[in-house]
Amino acid sequence: MSPPDRDSRKATLPPERDFSTLMAASMGGDAAAYKLLLGEVRVWLQRYYARRLPPAIVEDAVQDALIAVHDKRHTYDLDRPFGPWLAAIARYKWIDRLRALKRMAAEPLGEGHATGDHESAVVSATILEELLASLKPAQSEVIRLVKLYGFSVEEAAAHTGQSVSLVKVNIHRGLARLTLAVQRQAHVDG
Amino acid sequence: MSTDNLIERLAGDLKPVRPRAPVLEAGLLALVCAIELVGFLAIGMARPDLAEAVRQPVLWWKFGALGLLALLGFATALRSFSPQGSARAGLTAILALAVVSLILGWAFDTTNRQTADLLTRLDPPDGLNCLAWVLGLSLPPLMLLGMLMRRAAATDPQRSAAAVGLGSAAWAALVFVFACPHDDPLYVVFWYALACSAIGLATYLILPRLTRW
Repeated sequence: MSPPDRDSRKATLPPERDFSTLMAASMGGDAAAYKLLLGEVRVWLQRYYARRLPPAIVEDAVQDALIAVHDKRHTYDLDRPFGPWLAAIARYKWIDRLRALKRMAAEPLGEGHATGDHESAVVSATILEELLASLKPAQSEVIRLVKLYGFSVEEAAAHTGQSVSLVKVNIHRGLARLTLAVQRQAHVDG
Repeated sequence: MSTDNLIERLAGDLKPVRPRAPVLEAGLLALVCAIELVGFLAIGMARPDLAEAVRQPVLWWKFGALGLLALLGFATALRSFSPQGSARAGLTAILALAVVSLILGWAFDTTNRQTADLLTRLDPPDGLNCLAWVLGLSLPPLMLLGMLMRRAAATDPQRSAAAVGLGSAAWAALVFVFACPHDDPLYVVFWYALACSAIGLATYLILPRLTRW
């Protein structure tokens, strides 16, 4: 067995007895126990990824890991502690996410590249978040994935469970609503 | 979809699952390997002089080394399919065993005085035939392990895939030993090592892509 990385040792793992019991019940089909377990696992995953990933993609990573926990729950050995099993899955998904981030093209900074004021970027990001929050969740989610994080339409479809054509429609309608909202705001400000 | 909704949906989709059973998987693998070996011998592939050949230490060197490599490869692969499992120690042991086997092969080679030239000893037509057979014979355990890996949750897929490939290739080479008329250690080391390395490398490159989760 490979030793856990230093970071995952620092993360507080869930109390073993309770979580192993909940997982055992979940594997037997107890939905209430499972919901409780996933709720607690979610909190742990949020802490885990918050220390390792940019804030904008933490929630996506949490969701990915929750789906992995669900899909691979049969690989949990009831005789062994739950924490290391969860940490191994979280770490695998974290590495997966880092690879995806690496694939996204990033402009390297030149030697003499001055670092500008971040205020406008922060303000823009805040406004963008508010605008996205005004959309339907299905629309904001696919716009985030495709337009902000650089996923393909197909990847967004696989991630959200929407069909490819629905992803395209939701992006189109969402962007149209955003444009309208920006125009209205400009009209009010002007 | 919000995380709350996702949790609702996952809990709603919940069905009872049977925990993964590595012992059962090992049993299934043993069954597939046994059927393959029996089938190979049943179609008359065993070398005609097998009864005489078993008296030679070289044959037992081949059986022993390949058998141990297959066993180690399979055990490493099955162990690494668990999220907490790792193939690192197993692969190190496989590498060490391979080196020891090569040294033993060299020792056999020095005790048997060979007068033939290198090309004759390597016998390329037979060697290529050996490669093809080992590749074909490696497929049944490789496919089974690939399916098991896909169903499980290997968190170091490249190393797991390497263990799958090396274990399957070593097993295939072991089965082929029953048919192979060559006892020259140089021939065995060159062609068998080439076959095992090629299968191990191909599996290392391909299998992780097919078992992503």
